[in-house]
Amino acid sequence: MATASEHSEHVAARAEMRWVYFVIAVIGLLLVMIAFTSLHWVMMPAQRIETVNPSTLHLAGEFTEDNLGTEANADGSATVRLIAQQYSFTPQCIVVPANTPVTFRGTSADVIHGFIIAGTNVNVMLEPGYVSNFRTEFKRPGEHVMPCHEFCSVGHAGMWAHVKVIDRDTFFRQSLSTRRQSCVPQ
Amino acid sequence: MKDEALFSRSNRWFVWSVAGVLALLLFGLAIGFVWMPYHNGEAGGSLWDAICRAAGAPGGNSYRDVNATKVISSDVIVIPDMIAADKEAIGRGATLSLRCTMCHGARGMSEAGTPNLAGQDAVAIYKQLRDFQSGQRKSAIMEPQAHGLSDQDMRDLAAYFAYLPRTSPPPVLVEQLKAPLVAQIGAPMRNIAPCISCHGGSDRKTGAPTLDGEPESYILTQLQAFADGHRRNDINGQMRNIARQMTKEEITTAAHYYAGR
Amino acid sequence: MFHSRRLVLAHFWVAFAAFLLALMLGEWQMYVRSPLFSGLSNPELYYRSVTAHGSAMAYVFPTLVAMGFGYAIVELSLKRPLVGLRWAWAGFGLLVAGTVIAMIPVSMGLASVLYTFYPPMIGNAFYYIGVVLVVVGSWIWVALMSVNLRLWKRDNPGVPVPLPMFANVAGAYLWAWTSVGAALEILLQILPVALGFRSTIDAGLARVLFSWTLHAIVYFWLFPSYIAFYTLVPRAIGGRLYSDLMGRVGFALFLVFSMPIGIHHIFQDPEVGEGFKFLHAIFTAMVSVPTLLTVFTITASVEIAARLRGGTGVVGWVRALPWGNPMMLAVAFSFIMLGFGGAGGIINMSYHLDFAIHNTQWITGHFHLIYGGAIVIMYFAIAYDLWPHLTGKALAQIVLMRVQLWLWFVGMIVVTFPWHYVGILAIPRRMAYFDYSDPAIAPQALSVIITFFGGLLLLASALLFIFILLRGHHAPRITLPEFRFSAPVHAVHHVPAALNGFALWLALMIGLTVVNYGYPIVKLLGTPGTAVPAIPVGVKR
Repeated sequence: MATASEHSEHVAARAEMRWVYFVIAVIGLLLVMIAFTSLHWVMMPAQRIETVNPSTLHLAGEFTEDNLGTEANADGSATVRLIAQQYSFTPQCIVVPANTPVTFRGTSADVIHGFIIAGTNVNVMLEPGYVSNFRTEFKRPGEHVMPCHEFCSVGHAGMWAHVKVIDRDTFFRQSLSTRRQSCVPQ
Repeated sequence: MKDEALFSRSNRWFVWSVAGVLALLLFGLAIGFVWMPYHNGEAGGSLWDAICRAAGAPGGNSYRDVNATKVISSDVIVIPDMIAADKEAIGRGATLSLRCTMCHGARGMSEAGTPNLAGQDAVAIYKQLRDFQSGQRKSAIMEPQAHGLSDQDMRDLAAYFAYLPRTSPPPVLVEQLKAPLVAQIGAPMRNIAPCISCHGGSDRKTGAPTLDGEPESYILTQLQAFADGHRRNDINGQMRNIARQMTKEEITTAAHYYAGR
Repeated sequence: MFHSRRLVLAHFWVAFAAFLLALMLGEWQMYVRSPLFSGLSNPELYYRSVTAHGSAMAYVFPTLVAMGFGYAIVELSLKRPLVGLRWAWAGFGLLVAGTVIAMIPVSMGLASVLYTFYPPMIGNAFYYIGVVLVVVGSWIWVALMSVNLRLWKRDNPGVPVPLPMFANVAGAYLWAWTSVGAALEILLQILPVALGFRSTIDAGLARVLFSWTLHAIVYFWLFPSYIAFYTLVPRAIGGRLYSDLMGRVGFALFLVFSMPIGIHHIFQDPEVGEGFKFLHAIFTAMVSVPTLLTVFTITASVEIAARLRGGTGVVGWVRALPWGNPMMLAVAFSFIMLGFGGAGGIINMSYHLDFAIHNTQWITGHFHLIYGGAIVIMYFAIAYDLWPHLTGKALAQIVLMRVQLWLWFVGMIVVTFPWHYVGILAIPRRMAYFDYSDPAIAPQALSVIITFFGGLLLLASALLFIFILLRGHHAPRITLPEFRFSAPVHAVHHVPAALNGFALWLALMIGLTVVNYGYPIVKLLGTPGTAVPAIPVGVKR
């Protein structure tokens, strides 16, 4: 009787171990996928953290009002600079070129905000004191809504911006006359 | 039951669990702190630089722009509770305020269509005085008034007017629920946050003025000025973003509502 | 003789009362932000409700359930009275006091910071003080769990620790370590500002410290449910636990891997290095292992019960299970919701997929499904299983119990599945209202309406649950057999030292914390210029 009990214990343990190996294989596959995508699809490149003073954004530095908007870079890419505050993004209508590497750089002037551009993978947290970076490419022209997605107090539900993806050539042509582009009605 | 030593190389559980965790750690460190930053960084960086980048070490401030930028909105730094409101400041402010009564009324309650200052937000008053003085907010009337004031004078005036009782107390919850749509909800898809989220009663954003009891014509003019861009001393465009999206009806409704409080 | 009955009952009743109130607030929230509500939805009221709902459901309700169940396990599994009963009541008192103190400013709209209270938004100091008291009350419970086990081990040298107690204490230690993050954030960062001693605060550091707590807290919530899986369910359905050893392994793995993975909540943040985000993603994958092991062990245990009842076939044995037994329904529903919720969790953990849904309604749907669904339905089952022993009276409304569980399951699916869907549409979370007339939002209108009706089912289920428990107090007295936990198929003669204590796992947990969180925290402490002005909220003047 002891051997029968031991035998069934071994059977049970073996079945268990087979499951454990299966689990390890599944998890291993997940890890390999994460590693692979981290090497090939970079949205937030590994870089040293950048700090900034949220109270003086409007006075000097990268995020002064006339430096916000989309800049055409010499290497054919674009950089979007924006600020989040209670309760709007500046600029509240952002223009980006299609089929171009675009880098978003942003920060917050007061509390933690964040944004997602609907229909894209752009998802960024904006924290006072830190500069956020995000790299992406928009495939085709169109319009997207861009809500704030982190609770920023009472007016959070009113914080919706818009993004206009325009044709690449149009964007670069316009950049010759406009230093920082946006689609904010003037 | 013999006692097994737990933290010893002869204990299978100890060895395998520590080895397993270490193996995972090394896998994660190798990929996350070496391979990934090397692969995704600029060519030619050192290993130490790659590790620092992956760790998010400080010192990443990379922005260099030679073009000097001009201050578009306001040169005031606005921080919560920045105006000291002690008795001396209020007293000095009271003395200074005598020159304001011609337009803004005795004890800050105007009858002339100029804004009431009684009980106004201290930071708001200070900031507007600074902006009048610097010219960031254009006003042929206020600029000479603000001209001779020192920074401390402006703080004292702000403390004094804030100390005066308001024309009407902040609305209680039941009253707030009766406010019009634009004040309570705004219009989210046009990025109009509700007025109550900044201008008091529900919540107060630093430097946002109290609108209750202000003259209707004044609120109308200011909203219009923000919408046109003629007034642009709002830091980072926070009011221009809202006003330019408001319809004529929404502007008149908001002005009428707050003037009537 | 169950000495600490009144203590356990007190914990459960306050827990369920808080749960019911918070649930009602939650349903109100669903209503006012749906297209069904045509009036004006004052956002300030909405966020008061969200703060109260979240704080009660995250900090009060599950803590009390874990504590009450923990005290019960001490007596029922160690078969001796709880040592430190007066301390236990003191802890309970602190918790109740803390809840009341926190809820007063919240209900007045002075602390609408939400249960995540991300600085630099700062609310009234008493909200945070209340939360601190709640946590301190729970730390008394942790100490009592540890002390009681130590005393039992001293009196029973070499005897394997009963599995329920092993898991119970593992959960207590996990909670103690987990709560340190938020405790540091509140005590060292937030309260000095809320009380007026400081005016600036490092928002990034606060998020890192909170992330320390934010993920592992859900495993603290999960422990009572998993303890129920292993130690209540097999017995309740007439079966045996497949493997006692695997159960211990699972709980030990939770103890090691639950905590040092919190940065996956801040994948999109700028203050943490990408290497650390990757490291946390790797270890988050590990925390799915104990759940997968549990799925196997419990399914096998359930199969044993089925075959003992004459079930045959590869899957046909499912039909032989005691489906009339509420515990059977509970575990089946819990596993279904765990499956969906777990899959969603795997998506959240996969760095690149997370970018599609971070801070959207997908996240809200996810944690309502996995916590409100899979975990809480087992809280109901625990209450039903323990109630006769707590009250000394029969709990006979079997049909009502089944109805209640069905309502909860269906309601939770109806609530959370559309929620996941609108999250994929990139609808953000924590918004008090939406303009459904806009074409960008219109597609989600129907889903939001559906979730509201699902919420009604949940409300009905919760009311029924309370009703059943109340009836349990007024039933006739009965004599009960001695309470039994599940017996394993193969009797436990010897447990490896590693699985009869916690030293190894605690060492690994702390070591991993140092590696995974050490530099991110120390770095921010040492970087100048990261402190920003605190922004007071709820300023009513």
